[in-house]
Amino acid sequence: MTDAELTVRVNGRTERLADVPGDERLLDTLRWRLGLKGTKEGCRTGDCGACTVLVDGVTVLSCLTLAHDVADQAVTTVEHVADDPVGAGVVRAFQQAGALQCGYCTPGFVVALTGLLKERGTDAPTEELLEGLQGNLCRCTGYAAIARAVARVREELA
Amino acid sequence: MTAAFPRPDGSAKLAGAAEYGTDLDVPGMRWGVLVPAPVPRGRIRALDLAPARAIPGVVAVGPAELAALLPGAQPDAERPLFPSTEITYHHQPLAAVAAPTLGAARRAARAVRVEVDPEPAVSDLETLFPEWPGSGAGSSPHVAAHVRARHGDVDRAFRDAETVVEETYRTASVHQVALEPHACLAEWRDDRWFVRTSTQSPFGVREDAASILGVPERSVVVEGTWVGGGFGGKGASMLEPFAMVLARASGRPVRLALGYAEEFRLGRTTLPAVIRLETAIARGRITGRRVRLLLDVGTSLPGRDFATGYSIGFLLGPYRTDAFEIEGYAVRTHKPPFGPHRAPFAPQCAFAVESHLDHAARAAGLDPEAFKAAHLWHEGDATALGQRVGPFGLGDAYAAARATAAAWRREAPAGHGVGIGAGFWSTSTGAGGEARVLLGPRELTVVQGEREIGSGSVLIGVRTVAERRTGLPAERVRIDYADTESAPFDSGVFGSRTTAALGRAVEGALDAVEATLRARLGTDGPLRLAVEGDELVVVAGTARRPVRALLTDAERAAGGIVGAGRHFGAGGSIDETRVVEGAFYPYTDFTGAAHVAEVAVDRETGTVRVVRYAAFHDAGTVVDPPSARAQIEGGVAMGLGTALTEEALWSDEGRLENAGLLDYRIPTLGEVPPIAVTFVEGHAGAGPFGAKGLGEPPIIPVPAAVAAAVRAACGAHVVELPLTAERVARALKLV
Repeated sequence: MTDAELTVRVNGRTERLADVPGDERLLDTLRWRLGLKGTKEGCRTGDCGACTVLVDGVTVLSCLTLAHDVADQAVTTVEHVADDPVGAGVVRAFQQAGALQCGYCTPGFVVALTGLLKERGTDAPTEELLEGLQGNLCRCTGYAAIARAVARVREELA
Repeated sequence: MTAAFPRPDGSAKLAGAAEYGTDLDVPGMRWGVLVPAPVPRGRIRALDLAPARAIPGVVAVGPAELAALLPGAQPDAERPLFPSTEITYHHQPLAAVAAPTLGAARRAARAVRVEVDPEPAVSDLETLFPEWPGSGAGSSPHVAAHVRARHGDVDRAFRDAETVVEETYRTASVHQVALEPHACLAEWRDDRWFVRTSTQSPFGVREDAASILGVPERSVVVEGTWVGGGFGGKGASMLEPFAMVLARASGRPVRLALGYAEEFRLGRTTLPAVIRLETAIARGRITGRRVRLLLDVGTSLPGRDFATGYSIGFLLGPYRTDAFEIEGYAVRTHKPPFGPHRAPFAPQCAFAVESHLDHAARAAGLDPEAFKAAHLWHEGDATALGQRVGPFGLGDAYAAARATAAAWRREAPAGHGVGIGAGFWSTSTGAGGEARVLLGPRELTVVQGEREIGSGSVLIGVRTVAERRTGLPAERVRIDYADTESAPFDSGVFGSRTTAALGRAVEGALDAVEATLRARLGTDGPLRLAVEGDELVVVAGTARRPVRALLTDAERAAGGIVGAGRHFGAGGSIDETRVVEGAFYPYTDFTGAAHVAEVAVDRETGTVRVVRYAAFHDAGTVVDPPSARAQIEGGVAMGLGTALTEEALWSDEGRLENAGLLDYRIPTLGEVPPIAVTFVEGHAGAGPFGAKGLGEPPIIPVPAAVAAAVRAACGAHVVELPLTAERVARALKLV
């Protein structure tokens, strides 16, 4: 695979990146080229969800996404997810519910829940949101506090 | 009680701004990669680093380079960084490389030419000891440790028993699965190493890394990063000494992080075990117990195994036992060394002993729960090893669990079952430690060397102790994370010890500050601290003096009045006359928990679904209820994994066959039921305000509670962990 230039919009900024290999994963582009370490590297096999980002508002596992596949699209990472009122509400809900411990899965959960609310609407039933988060693993909380955050997210968005 | 939420670390973590070990990144940094052993066991015929070095920018270090790289070093001969002749486990690091990019480092690692004569590896306990529990195991070269204790006339108890039940239990290897894999960054400058690492114990890493490399501890400075989950897996050093030699060889900062498959393969965690339990019952009472354990400790060093002597005590359970005999073998196999995994091996012990005593009670025609309740330890009883039981609330927790179980049983539909599991634990003292506080004009700083690993034990637990002890609001108490150069020594964030032990040290440090203030104010009446405007003031009766005005010149320069305090020490002792061989350990204090699980079992497939769950805990005085509840919710979920799905599958040849999260299944959001948490208070521990440790206890009773519920639901008596659908279905055929 040859290296090529890549233009991508990340957190509202247009990034023109030179010599991006064809097999480079979006996760590595974000973390190591753009210094956006908030997107976490866990399993790199799509099983843990820690690397979740939004691409044109849709949740994507950045470890399974090639950087060139998001050319000219808009990527939102956890660093800027709260710029948007839905993302800000999700962050408040997690904070208020104490829905984090070590915090390593947290960016993935915050971005994934924001994406779900954007996709399904902020009035989506809690059960549906919880089902949509099944691809995100957490080892610390037992998901209980995360479920409490999901349950109060509508309150934060009101 | 103060509510700790929102968490003080919440904003940084939610914004993606918290820097973890995996995020370490400095200019000019090199990427390190380990060269893995291609077989679990074999003789190294050749290790040629030249093809790796031919790649531009690559440095490579193997066993032959170490002496020249570390002149004067005296490495621990028993723990060589790289093996020079014998490979003892699969993927054991044989050499390490560093390069300007990760891609180049990976190519270099693959380019290293390794020639090995494979030898047959031994990985399975029962292949090694087919005759066990007969005699002979003690003299095997595979035994790393042998422990044995006895008390009373066991043979007579079994001879005179009305009922004797013998069973064998098998438990699986489980991995911590912290979502952040091990990662660190090492730098060599000014004749010292500076190591930043995701660790539960910066001082432990310093000691361990220095001893492995054979260099003075003062040449190693360790600073913790945020930790993406520990669970025991990040206590001792793992990658740091490799990163250190690569930093020395390259003259650059070197980052070394594991990929997730390597995390599974190299992780030091719980390995398989076989447990043999025999119980004698007469007139409704336990009259004798025999317990035998074969515990796989991988390549743990002979004589350095702690797990066998500590964990084996949990196989007697929190039950009064007049006559017993207990014997454990730590067995060396071709796997990575055994390491701590949240309450090391105690959930497995509780599963075996709880299931077995239920089974024995049934065989004797007794109600299992009433039988256990009648034997539970209470304060003042003696453990099997003769230690006096201190304040202990398991009796209360068990009674509450029985009441809940009875209510749930009345409501449970057909196909559901309700079960109880109990367990106990202690608060570890570790190797002790200290804390320092600095009372400045505007804030109180706690200077200590640990990092918050997520449980809240440092950032919420220790801070809450300081707040409550001084009367200051949270925003005026700062937790300072210092490196091993400037922080007072502490053993680490493990063993359920942090809030209790470090909190106690902070109390001591605050006592010292208070003594200084009293001397300066000339008062022996009550003192407290308060905030006035932007300043801290000392309130003594009606007098109020700003802290600023009480400082000496030296203190003003140092930032405030310094106080130092120490942890508590070990609380009790065992009766050594009961020990026949090896080392057994006393408990510092006694924490207990009883859990209730309701499950639904699909009789066709054997699939178990946990429907609801209740946990009753004696944690002494609860320091921060929201964090304490969060610990229990998380611990129960982790325990459900141990109970139902988690199993690292080691082949008989010592190869790990499921090194990934798809095949090693931890609980997902939809699989953890609602968990009701209740604290049983009134049994004070050794920590601040009577707190006891809480990090580990919540995982302990879970597999036992689930197994009891499965048996209640469908009659299947499963004697192997985890209770996979296949095992439950197989056990159902025997019903």
